[in-house]
Amino acid sequence: MATVQFKKIVKKFGDNVVLNGVDVDIKDHEFVVIVGPSGCGKTTLLRMLAGLEEISDGEIFIDNLLVNELHPSKREIAMVFQDYALYPHMTVEENMNFALRLRKMDKAEIGARVTEAANILQLNKFLKRMPKQLSGGQRQRVAIGRAIVRKPKVFLFDEPLSNLDAKLREEMRVEIAKLYQRLNATIIYVTHDQVEAMTLAGRIVIMNHGIVQQVGSPIEVYRKPVNLFVAGFIGSPTMNFLSGKLAVKDGVAVFSNESITMPIPAFVLPQKEAREGREVVLGIRPDDVLVERPGGDKCSCKIDGVLEVCELLGHRENLYLKVGGQRLLATVEAFFNRSPGSAVSLCFNYQNMHVFDKATEQRISE
Amino acid sequence: MNILTSIGEVSWFILLVAAGVAALVGYLYSHFKFYSRSWFFPAVLAVFPALALAVFGGLLGGYAFKLWLSFLAAEAAIAVFFRYVVKGRHTVPYLLLAPAFVGLALLLVYPFVFEVYLSFHDLKLTTIMMWKNTGTLPFVGIDQYIKVFTTSPLSETTFWQLLLRTLVWTFSNVFFHVLGGFILALMLNNSIRFKGFYRTLLVIPWAMPQVVAVLAMRGEFHATNGFVNIVITRLLGFFPFLSHLGVAPVQWLTDYPLLTCTLINIWLGIPFMMVVILGGLQSISSSYYDAADIDGASYFQKLRYITLPLVRPVMMPAVTLGTVWTFNNINVIYLVTGQAGGTEQADILVSALYKAAFTYNRYSYSAAFAIVVFAMLFFFSVFYLKSFDAAKDER
Repeated sequence: MATVQFKKIVKKFGDNVVLNGVDVDIKDHEFVVIVGPSGCGKTTLLRMLAGLEEISDGEIFIDNLLVNELHPSKREIAMVFQDYALYPHMTVEENMNFALRLRKMDKAEIGARVTEAANILQLNKFLKRMPKQLSGGQRQRVAIGRAIVRKPKVFLFDEPLSNLDAKLREEMRVEIAKLYQRLNATIIYVTHDQVEAMTLAGRIVIMNHGIVQQVGSPIEVYRKPVNLFVAGFIGSPTMNFLSGKLAVKDGVAVFSNESITMPIPAFVLPQKEAREGREVVLGIRPDDVLVERPGGDKCSCKIDGVLEVCELLGHRENLYLKVGGQRLLATVEAFFNRSPGSAVSLCFNYQNMHVFDKATEQRISE
Repeated sequence: MNILTSIGEVSWFILLVAAGVAALVGYLYSHFKFYSRSWFFPAVLAVFPALALAVFGGLLGGYAFKLWLSFLAAEAAIAVFFRYVVKGRHTVPYLLLAPAFVGLALLLVYPFVFEVYLSFHDLKLTTIMMWKNTGTLPFVGIDQYIKVFTTSPLSETTFWQLLLRTLVWTFSNVFFHVLGGFILALMLNNSIRFKGFYRTLLVIPWAMPQVVAVLAMRGEFHATNGFVNIVITRLLGFFPFLSHLGVAPVQWLTDYPLLTCTLINIWLGIPFMMVVILGGLQSISSSYYDAADIDGASYFQKLRYITLPLVRPVMMPAVTLGTVWTFNNINVIYLVTGQAGGTEQADILVSALYKAAFTYNRYSYSAAFAIVVFAMLFFFSVFYLKSFDAAKDER
């Protein structure tokens, strides 16, 4: 197993800068998920690590070895592709041992490794089948098996679950998590699905527009998003954003826009950040919008709103609220027995409130 | 005025064709409509033949009776087909297919049946007048088929030599078509500049009328004025040592006619294979190559383990077609060697067949010969496509 370092990675396609100075250190045995919207450069970064894409500028190290000019097969990595890329004219077994056959490895050793991987992935029954005769989930397992038999230093997963249906995706997610516990390998996993990122990752790398926005454990990026993009990208349903201006009255910061005015206590926003007239965006997750509940001293004062739509999810309920001109989403325990159109009172939990500067989009709260 | 007359003639012809199609469809429609009536068969076997006899009798005179008999047989078959197979279902599809079937019958089935008929009889220069006067030919059984294998269609070359030469010709041509096409397709499949321009240039030999292309190339193989010999002469001028190695201008058309034909036909056939293989290459997902790169495959290993197996499904039908076309290729050989007497050294089965029929006027012999050639190609194609299907089932 190995460490991976990206140092000031730049990738240009012509004049189009896809990656702009990516710096990430990945530790040994770490499960790192690179997540971001489509076109953010995450797959390109992975393909550059695999050696399938040229590096315009910067350096990539695997196990402290500079691999920029190294052929993909010499980097001791294994990759699982989005479309699996199983060779259609080879059986599952041939697919899995192709790399080993190319290396002219001893036949007994090849057999042992394939059997081992097949046992891990429960593929023993399918070894003689063609990829065409397998379901999507089975093909996915074969693709992973093909990676395992090579005993690589680093596993690369390129959106491996995006071609599966929702139920299968959940199952495979658990499979991959179990696989990680068993192999204890360095894994770099690219996805656009923040749920996969949150559930699988040891550390998440969030990217947008070719730039790393934040690196941290799932709970860090959830609790302390460093900017508006991360705040909006991580978490489901999406965070509520309220833009407005700050005022300072008697040493206390007060947020206000056309619909809502509320003080922001110092434990949320430090005094030095609270300037008169500063344009800010408040971020509040739907879970932290308390509807018809007594707020404690860690909550804002009551605000009157109108219930527009209820969505019952089973044990939870999404409430679409309107406060003046401001729309808000709140997630509450089922059942919230109010009909649409009725007036409700709500308050915000200060403990999980995020404040961002509107101009720089950076986090300014604690 | 001339123009007006032409327009009149053309419209008259179009009207005639339209009326023919209408009559045909109406005729078949009556089969659909009345197949279940009790008077269907008696009417079919009485009314239509009577009408047909009147038409044929008026149009064709002497042949009328024979034609009428075959019409009667065809009509009975159609009636049985409609009564017991179609049973009034699928009316519209059959009606729409009918004109095409009739066209096929006239253009393919009738000539083929006539060819089989000829091959069991003896039609040649000495019996053709008898045939014209009496309409009958001496029946000779399988004599013509025996002759195909024992006597030669040509004066210098035996059947077996021809067969061997045809196999060599076919194999070498198809081999170099595929090889050349594959190499060019691999080159075109890279991201290179002016790709479309190169592709157009390479496809030109295929797009040109074969007569023009072959005659032009024949000129280039001319002993004194042809491009090939001029280049050889110039090379000898620059590098005199080549003459010690035995390089010298060659009398292509008289000394090596088959080689010349092969070279020309290879040049003609490469573009087709190139286009087909290029299409196959472009349909291979690049992720297979990515995966193979990571697996550590070299360029040739990728070619061997990925490109070839994945191109095979598109290549096999093209190879089958190419084999049949090359086996049956008379254009190149006739145009290069066959005019004005010509040589027999480049003849393959079909060009010999052409000479037997139209130079030596051995019609029945040629008919038997053609059926033998047909049988060979038929079994080849069936075997080839079967083995291809079997290979496809494996995956």
